[in-house]
Amino acid sequence: MAIPITVPRLGWNMEQGTFGGWLKADGDRIEPGDRVFALESEKATEEIESLDGGYLRIPPDGPKPGDVLAIGVVVGYLVTSMDEPLTAANPKAAAVVAVASETVVAPASRSLEKHESTASSPRARRVAVELGVDWKSLTGSGRNGRIRERDVRAATTHRDNAVPITTFRRTIADRMLASHRETAPVTLTTTADASNLVSWRARLKSAGGPVPSFTDLFVKLVADSLRLHPMLGAHWTNAGLRLPASIDIGIAVDTEAGLLVPVVRNVPSLSLQQLATATSELIERARTSRLTSADTQGGCFTVTNLGSFGIDAFTPIINAPQCAILGIGRISRHPAVIGDAVEPRDQVTLSLTFDHRIVDGAPAARFLQSVVQAVENPAAW
Amino acid sequence: MPIAPVNISLDRDLGLRLYRQMVLIRKSEEQLARAHQRGLVHGACHTYVGQEAVAVGVCAHLTSDDVVFSTHRGHGHAIAKGVSPFELIAELLGRAPGCSRGRGGSMHLFAPEVGLLGTSGIVGPCILQAAGAGYSFRLLKSDRVAVAFFGDGAVNNGAFHEGLNLASIWKLPVLFVCENNQFATEVPFSYSAGNPDVASRGANYGMPGIAVDGNDVLAVSGTVAEAVRRARAGDGPTLLECRTYRTRPHAEGMGDFGYRTREDVDAWKKRCPIQRLRAALTADVVANETDLNAIDSEVDHEVEEAYRRAEASAWPTAADAATHVYAEPRRPEPAVPPDPGRSVTWMQATLEALTAEMEANPGIFVLGEGIGKRGGNFRTTAGLFDRFGPERLRDTPIAERGFTGLAGGAAMTGTRPVVDFMFADFLLDGAGEVVNQIAKIQYMSSGRLKMPILLRGCIGIGHSAATHHSGNYSTMYGHFPGLRVVLPSNPYDAKGLLHHALRCDDPVFFLEHRELLALKGQVPEPAYELPFGQAAIVREGRDVTVVALALMVHKTLEAIEKLAGISVELIDPRTAAPLDIETIRRSVAKTGRLLIVDETFAPFGFGAEIAAHMADEGFDDLDAPIRRLNGIHTPTPYSPPLEAAAVPSVDAIAQAIRDLAAE
Repeated sequence: MAIPITVPRLGWNMEQGTFGGWLKADGDRIEPGDRVFALESEKATEEIESLDGGYLRIPPDGPKPGDVLAIGVVVGYLVTSMDEPLTAANPKAAAVVAVASETVVAPASRSLEKHESTASSPRARRVAVELGVDWKSLTGSGRNGRIRERDVRAATTHRDNAVPITTFRRTIADRMLASHRETAPVTLTTTADASNLVSWRARLKSAGGPVPSFTDLFVKLVADSLRLHPMLGAHWTNAGLRLPASIDIGIAVDTEAGLLVPVVRNVPSLSLQQLATATSELIERARTSRLTSADTQGGCFTVTNLGSFGIDAFTPIINAPQCAILGIGRISRHPAVIGDAVEPRDQVTLSLTFDHRIVDGAPAARFLQSVVQAVENPAAW
Repeated sequence: MPIAPVNISLDRDLGLRLYRQMVLIRKSEEQLARAHQRGLVHGACHTYVGQEAVAVGVCAHLTSDDVVFSTHRGHGHAIAKGVSPFELIAELLGRAPGCSRGRGGSMHLFAPEVGLLGTSGIVGPCILQAAGAGYSFRLLKSDRVAVAFFGDGAVNNGAFHEGLNLASIWKLPVLFVCENNQFATEVPFSYSAGNPDVASRGANYGMPGIAVDGNDVLAVSGTVAEAVRRARAGDGPTLLECRTYRTRPHAEGMGDFGYRTREDVDAWKKRCPIQRLRAALTADVVANETDLNAIDSEVDHEVEEAYRRAEASAWPTAADAATHVYAEPRRPEPAVPPDPGRSVTWMQATLEALTAEMEANPGIFVLGEGIGKRGGNFRTTAGLFDRFGPERLRDTPIAERGFTGLAGGAAMTGTRPVVDFMFADFLLDGAGEVVNQIAKIQYMSSGRLKMPILLRGCIGIGHSAATHHSGNYSTMYGHFPGLRVVLPSNPYDAKGLLHHALRCDDPVFFLEHRELLALKGQVPEPAYELPFGQAAIVREGRDVTVVALALMVHKTLEAIEKLAGISVELIDPRTAAPLDIETIRRSVAKTGRLLIVDETFAPFGFGAEIAAHMADEGFDDLDAPIRRLNGIHTPTPYSPPLEAAAVPSVDAIAQAIRDLAAE
């Protein structure tokens, strides 16, 4: 029995196609999989392949190239012998032909096209519409770059007073607030003569190798003082005051996202050059968001330096559960009375905030005093 | 204790009344058979032709206050109990004035106003429900009687065993009428019964069992008179076996001669109960042919008129398809006492609620194993036996299907049972009574019956209870229309929700996580109600919404303590059905992120349901995919490391929240 060859649907919304011409001649032997005719849809021209075998019969009134045909129209037949009459055929349309190559018709909607390239949450798109933001231009911060609500809101900050609170900001806020609530902070300030420190650093500079920053020098001096005054390095815990097993010191680092405090391990064991290498590496990682959570955990003391911003004295907030934090001010030249003479000297103001729950004022002052002595006399050290 | 059938002497009025009732059933059935052939009966049509003497002989001794529970072949019982042919026919034609308002059809007929408390498409439950009605009548100190009609197919079913035993041990005023028509659908009783003498089985349960000729209405009536008298007098139940035959197929339109012969059917047609009474009446000259012919034509006219009216009746409106699934919700007492409360355990809090409600409502009684003198395995009824006595604190045999079905029958007839399963797992042997009967009765009766029943039991994984004492069935029962499912997470909620449950007219599952029973919390001493379907916002937050029930609320709180920098809003829906989707939706609108933590399995569950709602109603609020964290899809293991792996841990919850925040 003759099997009719019909016009297939090439896409879900296709209703008609344009006949592109036969690829085989009347009487040709067709094997399953052979391409039989071309059909043009709105999207593309496809070569239509046969699912059945037989001899191709093209009726004399069959379609001509350029004819527009409705889906399901019979264009020809496959017969088992050329003598077979062509009257038969329950249109077995779907079984007869298939698209030669798998073609997915691109959906019409623009938003669907966009989906393929940029993932975004429904909420982000809703907020984008509300705020008039072109979300397709944004870079997403979610998993695999998905655009989230925060990305859309961040894009509007230039015209919106409310800057979105990032999780990072919130973490800092929670920790600051917790420290403020849970410690009994007292700040002591004093001024030290830094002339010897400055000239010492100048010597280190000329010696070559990594040059320690002033912060590095203070970290080293503080580590030394902590050995004499370990309670300033204690942690407040419910189980009791925990003295440091190792002098690990945090350094406050200003990054684009906010404050980070990476910790330098076992400072007394490091030479000044090693220390300088370690801190510059930590600072670089902090500024490029490559710190791990281990890098910021477990310090016994923190050093923060605002001197480069022209700040002299301030009241740092304790990095709980640590006991204390040392704020370093600007180093600048001031007239100093030495004996009966007035001399220009480099001076620095140090601000120590400590938790009065852990230590009292006098021991804290003694610690600060020992730091001052070390600053003024680095050679002894 | 064999009791001989009793024949009553022929009285003209009674004779004509019995005759008329039987003819009314026969003519109505014939009318329905014709309607079925014309395609006007939309579903099944199970006629009662040939068995009329049983329904009529039994119901002759019942008042409209007495109640009847029947089977899939219940047209005759309905008419004998007082349902009009019009209401019956209209029901089968699917019309609004049908006795079940178009909700039932042939197999689900309800007319509480005349004491027809339902026919059922399930074999067996009517036995338990009749026992439950009997229980109500005892508790309410009434002399009403309950009747269960069932076929020979029911007597090899567990409901028969459990129901007759319960009725016997509690001496309930019930008549168990077995209509032995010799085939359960098409399976011969002689094949399926080890002891085909049904009446003799009464002895197994310590009750009288009597066999009568079910085609002899006078024999049936005489025997029933004595059984009803015994029941009303408080002498307990009777089993009656009426041997009879249906002379039409199991259902209209079915072939009838694959399992029985035309000759057998013809022979039984000759023993027609109507012709038999007619012969007896005329032979005793109690009535003459003219009287009886007059009744025939009067009934003909009545049934034709009923049919005409039924066919002209309105269809039910589509808008009513889901009305009466639940009772009208009652407004709970608004005031929560200002009393800040004392710290008491969950067990104490719920015991206070149950005690107060039992004090206020003499219709409340408790059924369960060990809930009497012992006071409950989990002290759920401690001290109540001494206070309220054995009828209200009723220890049961281990027969969950039996006493659950019984409780359903009691709830329909004016009392409020509390079924204490100890562990919710145990109910599964009787789950059909809940799902097919208790959940559906309000709907099937179009709101004319209430189902105030509390089903309580422990759920939850912990302490190596292993798989038969640890199930959590909120998902399963929450799936079915007609049930309320409550899963409190703390003593305060448990007390308020239990008060509400004991005042609500719907069946309520009160599922208590075993790991929470000893949990203490601030609970006010006076009674207070918490309504169903109102979630609690346990903790407010901004970044992620977590929804959890029962123990998972506590685990999530612990997990939150481990998180820094993520602000979590925790919602406890408190009831799985109804589920407060609106509160969850509002929270997701704020946070954009949703995690559902559920101790039990994920597939088709509580979490899936919430997720589907949010993906739909909250789509534009979602800033991340919806996540579920569930127990693994396995029976609960015993060994601690295996058990711990089966449920969401605090760490897993914390990690799931972190992951979701990073999406």
